[in-house]
Amino acid sequence: MDDLLNRMAQSLVMTLVGGAILRVSALSAIYLNYVKPGFRPLLVAAGLVVFALGVLGLIQEWRKPYVSPSETGPAAKPKHDHGPRVAWLLCLPVIAIFLIAPPALGSFAAERDEAPQPRPTALDAYGALAPDKPTVMPLGEFIGRAWGDANRSLTGRPVTLTGFAVHSKKKGQWYLTRMQLRCCAADAFPLKVTVLGVPAPRDDTWVEVTGAWVPTPYDELPKGTVAPEMKATALTKVDQPAEPYE
Amino acid sequence: MSKNTLKSFMSDRTVLDWTAEPDSPVPPPTWGRRAPEAQVLPWVFAALVGFLLLGNLLLSPHLTAPALRMWSTIFVAICVQAIPFLVFGVALSAAITVFVPPSLWTRVLPRRPYAAVPVAGVAGLVLPGCECASVPVASGLMSRGVTPAAALAFLLASPAINPVVLVSTAVAFPGQPLMVVARFAASLAVAVLAGWVWQLLGRPGWLRVPPRTARDGESRWASFLSAMRHDFLHAGGFLVVGGLTAATLNVVVPRSWLSSVGGVPWLSVLVLAVLAVILSICSEADAFVAASLTAFSPTAKLAFLVVGPMVDLKLIALQAGTFGRAFAARFVPLTFTLAILVSVLVGWMIF
Repeated sequence: MDDLLNRMAQSLVMTLVGGAILRVSALSAIYLNYVKPGFRPLLVAAGLVVFALGVLGLIQEWRKPYVSPSETGPAAKPKHDHGPRVAWLLCLPVIAIFLIAPPALGSFAAERDEAPQPRPTALDAYGALAPDKPTVMPLGEFIGRAWGDANRSLTGRPVTLTGFAVHSKKKGQWYLTRMQLRCCAADAFPLKVTVLGVPAPRDDTWVEVTGAWVPTPYDELPKGTVAPEMKATALTKVDQPAEPYE
Repeated sequence: MSKNTLKSFMSDRTVLDWTAEPDSPVPPPTWGRRAPEAQVLPWVFAALVGFLLLGNLLLSPHLTAPALRMWSTIFVAICVQAIPFLVFGVALSAAITVFVPPSLWTRVLPRRPYAAVPVAGVAGLVLPGCECASVPVASGLMSRGVTPAAALAFLLASPAINPVVLVSTAVAFPGQPLMVVARFAASLAVAVLAGWVWQLLGRPGWLRVPPRTARDGESRWASFLSAMRHDFLHAGGFLVVGGLTAATLNVVVPRSWLSSVGGVPWLSVLVLAVLAVILSICSEADAFVAASLTAFSPTAKLAFLVVGPMVDLKLIALQAGTFGRAFAARFVPLTFTLAILVSVLVGWMIF
C-alpha cells in the first residue's frame, strides 16, 4: 500500500466513522454521554451522510473491473482518487467508541474541577414548593434556589435530588453530584450539593437523596466555591439515568 | 446433469459476466476477475467490524482507568460534537466549488481587495455554523477565485458573529446586552483587521490554496461527492488532531489552576485567551462557559469569546492542514494578538 489512502481505504474509513456515529446516536442513547440530547437529529443526519458516502465508495470499488498492473501507469491513476494520510486518524474516535466505550463523566472529573459559582438567576423566578411531600428537582435548581432566591423558598421544604456520589475531604459529609453540559462533555462542570446525615455511598454510585436544605446564615454568595448543604433523611440507590448530565 | 454440461454452463456464465461489463479490456487477461483490492475488500471489512465488536465485548470492561475514561470521553465528545458541523461545512464547500459559478463571487464582492475584506467579514453573518464549518467553506471560496484576504475575513468572522452564536451569547449573559454588542464589534473588527494585514503583508507562497478542478467527463454530482469525500477525510483527520490535544490538556491542566489568577487584570485577559485556545469549545457554546467564569472581569470574558472562535487547537490543526503550515505559523499568532488587543480596547470602551 502506498503512503496515501486509496479509494478503498478512504471508503472504509468513512463507513466506519459513519457507522460509529449511527451506533451512538440512531441505534442507542450512548451519545448522551458526550453531547446534549438536542444533538440527536444532527448526529443521525451527519452519520447517514458519511455512512452513505462510504458505502457508495465501497460498492464502486467492489464493482471495479480488473485492470492488469501493466496498464496502470502514473497517468492511469487520477491524483485526487487518493485521500490525505491524516484521514487514518479518523479511526481513533471509532476505536475509542468501541474499545474503551467512554462512559459519562463521573467522580474523577467532578473532583478535578471545582464548580464555578452559579449564575445569578432572575429573582422570584421560582415557584413555591409543597410543604409536606418531597419535590423532585434537578441539582441545578436546588443550587439556584439555595443561593439566588430572595424568598428562600427551600426553607423547611423536603426535596428529592438525583446524582452520583463523590467523597469529601471532610468527615461525615459527601457530595451529591451531577455534571452540567453546555454543548459537549469538554465543557462539563460539576454541580455539587453537600449531603449530611447519611453515610457516604461509594464514589460514582447513583443515588436518590431526600432531605431538606440547611439554610445559610449569609444572603450574599460567599467567595470561592461552596456547595449548598442538605440534611438527608432517605437514600436510595438508583440506576444511572438515561440522560446522565443536567 | 453431466460434468461436461455443468462445466460448459459455468463457462457460459463467466462469459456472460464479462460481457456485462463493456469497459473491460478486450480480450480480458483474467475473465470475470475483480480489481485486486476488491477481492480482499469484504474480508478486510468483516475483519475490522469483527475486531471492533469483539473489542467492545472483551476489552472495554477492562479499560477502566479513570483518567483514561475521562480523556476518552472528552476526546470522543469533541469529535462527535464537531462532526455534524464539519459535514455541513464540507457539503457547503463542495456545493460552492461545484454548483456556484465563479462569476458570482466577482459580481458580489468588490473588485478591490481592501474593499472586499469588510464585505466578506459582514457576510459571515449569514452562515450559521461553528468554526469547523468555516475552514472548508473559506478554502472553497479561495479555490473559486475569491481574494484570500477576503476569504480569511469570512473565515474569522462567520463563527463569531452569526445569529446562532449571538443569540446564545444573549442567553448566556441575561441582562447584559452590551456583551453581545461587544462580541459582535470586537470579532468583526479583528476579522477585518486580520484580512487587511494579510492583504498588506501576506505573500502568495505562504498560503496553499487547495486546487479544485473537476475531472473531464465527470458529472457534477460525481465531482460534488468526490470533493465532499476528500474534504471530509482531510478536515476530519485534522479535527481529530485538535481533539486529541484539547482532551489531553483538559485532563492534564485542571481548570482551577487558571481561576486562581482571576484577580490580576492584564493576566486574567491573557489567561482566558489561552484557556479559549486550549478548551476548543464550539463557538455556539462558548458563551455559556464564559458566563460561568465568574471570577473574571467582563473584558477577560470578552477576550475569551473573541479568541475562541478564531484561534483554538482544533482550528489551528484544521488551518495548518488545509492551508499549509507556513500559513498557520503566521496567521495564528497574528489573529491571536489582534484578538487580544481589540478585546482589551473594546472592553475598555464599553465596560
